[in-house]
Amino acid sequence: MTARKTIPFSRVRRVAVIAGHAFTQLVRMKVFYFLGFFAVIGIASNFFNLPQQSGPEALGDNGMDLLRLIKSWSLGPMTLFSVVMGIVSTALLLPKDVEDRTLYTILAKPVPRLDYLAGKLLGVLLLLFVSLALMDLLMVIMLQMRLSIVLEVQASLGQSRGWDAAAIESLKQDTLAQGPTWALQGAVAAVFIRSAIMAAIALLISTFSSSTLFTTVVSFLIYFIGHFQADARDFYFEGGEAGTSAASRYVAMSVSLVFPDFQLFNVIDAVIQGKTMELIQFVKLTLAGIYYVAVYTIASWFVFSDKEF
Amino acid sequence: MKAYRKHVILALGLLAAGGLRMSWEAPLTREFRSDGLLAKPVETATREKIGQTSAAVALGGLRTLVATFLNLKAFSHFEAREWSELAETYDLIVDLAPNTPYYWTTGGWHLAYNSASDYLTRTDLPALRRREAWRDSIRRGRAFFERGTRLNPDEPSIQAELGALLSNSNKLLDFPAAAAAYKAAADTGKAFPYVRRGECLALARIPGRELEALDLARRLYADPHNRLPTLCCVRFALESHADPSKDPLKLAISIFGDPRSAHDQLGEYWVRVQERYPLDGVASALKILESILLVPADESVFKRALQPKETPDDWFRGR
Repeated sequence: MTARKTIPFSRVRRVAVIAGHAFTQLVRMKVFYFLGFFAVIGIASNFFNLPQQSGPEALGDNGMDLLRLIKSWSLGPMTLFSVVMGIVSTALLLPKDVEDRTLYTILAKPVPRLDYLAGKLLGVLLLLFVSLALMDLLMVIMLQMRLSIVLEVQASLGQSRGWDAAAIESLKQDTLAQGPTWALQGAVAAVFIRSAIMAAIALLISTFSSSTLFTTVVSFLIYFIGHFQADARDFYFEGGEAGTSAASRYVAMSVSLVFPDFQLFNVIDAVIQGKTMELIQFVKLTLAGIYYVAVYTIASWFVFSDKEF
Repeated sequence: MKAYRKHVILALGLLAAGGLRMSWEAPLTREFRSDGLLAKPVETATREKIGQTSAAVALGGLRTLVATFLNLKAFSHFEAREWSELAETYDLIVDLAPNTPYYWTTGGWHLAYNSASDYLTRTDLPALRRREAWRDSIRRGRAFFERGTRLNPDEPSIQAELGALLSNSNKLLDFPAAAAAYKAAADTGKAFPYVRRGECLALARIPGRELEALDLARRLYADPHNRLPTLCCVRFALESHADPSKDPLKLAISIFGDPRSAHDQLGEYWVRVQERYPLDGVASALKILESILLVPADESVFKRALQPKETPDDWFRGR
């Protein structure tokens, strides 16, 4: 009975040990240096406040647009860094373990191959999570600082122009929506989920590829194809009415069945523009991400399960 | 297991997983699109115009980032006074980020104001060509604002900018359309207080809608924050228009508070003829006020030069 109870825990511990090792391995590759670039980009975004037309009583238009600019300049690099890190670090892990012969040592022990793959993937996800959390922190600090300045300017201008409290409060609410909100955190989470899916796809490719370069290139191709997937799906469902050939519809269907729909995660654009993402929508997005990651991880295990080295 | 069999099983498994997610993936995309969380896919024409690299970045989920960089590029066109390129760049920007009011208001401003003003002063072009280019720029700016309002009906800033353009006496006036734009902006409930006043000031300049304007002016006047000189003067003129038998002095004092304020504000209003505000009863009131305040004849407001009441077409004549 005792042995049965400890099995799941020992499995979890084993996966955690492999994940921790993969994380340490990646951290030693000095991946966190990119945070310096991110900070520079974030600070630079504060200096691109271009002149614009403002109405006679527009108290905070410029400030609100600057907040939007900071979000855009921060979430863009976050997406790029996380996708690149997710793909490249996953593509590196298996070949590196083969090269260092660590893989043979691990697989010689009673370590299920699924645990090994899950551990490696979790290590990458941990790296992505920590990186995004740090970038998020920097973004929130910059946004909060700028938000305080904008609100202060708005309040003093509003008072000097005789605005009533309701009008000042209404403007304040609009401005706060451009600051660090939960929807923005949801957008950062969407960035994480998308890069996690890419890491899972890179893991699948690296199970049958022997080259890091091949894995990286194919993964990036899949990343871009994934952004057309919704178009392909629409073409399949609606193309028949437009008189398109059956062959092209079947190609579109195959694309939409095999590749993930990354357009779903473009909600970050709407959040940058100040739209709110409801909790239920975020939950649906997260479940979609979990589904993709689970499918590609199981597929990786299927390929890797009896692979000989 | 043999490799080919394994690959077939893998492919079938992925297809089956794809089939399973079809049931929720397409409805989820539709839901996100209808809630405004996802924009329409980037048009093929836009993809071609922004170049392969930017298109790849935009398709990679970074549309707003590409729009931000294109906005910087547009600013370079503005500095170099390359108006056609600027217009094209803003068309791309709003294709990528159609729900960001900043791009609509800034693009429209560049076209209707900066580009138009540039053509007004371009001495290297004959007057006729300058006038046509000036008109064309303003029309493009108006069309840009109007496109923005159609795509963002709940966004007051674009409607308000459209209202400001159409009621600007240095541009191509269209007071009925200006009043409608201001009204649409104010009705969103999110507009700045000046927008409703803008609606009133535009209505006051539409022949036949003076009573509608007066009703709005009275409601706005009830809030002390709205008692700004132009609104007070417009209300005075509209009250006089509605009932010419009203005593101008009593009416002026009831609106402005005291003869000195009434004289100063109506005096400034009187010379702004280019803006085409109603002037009913203003001259009579000023005459009475000047006699009460003992304004010397040479300091009379009637001795002051009026704003030239010329149309934009006059600017190009003889230049």
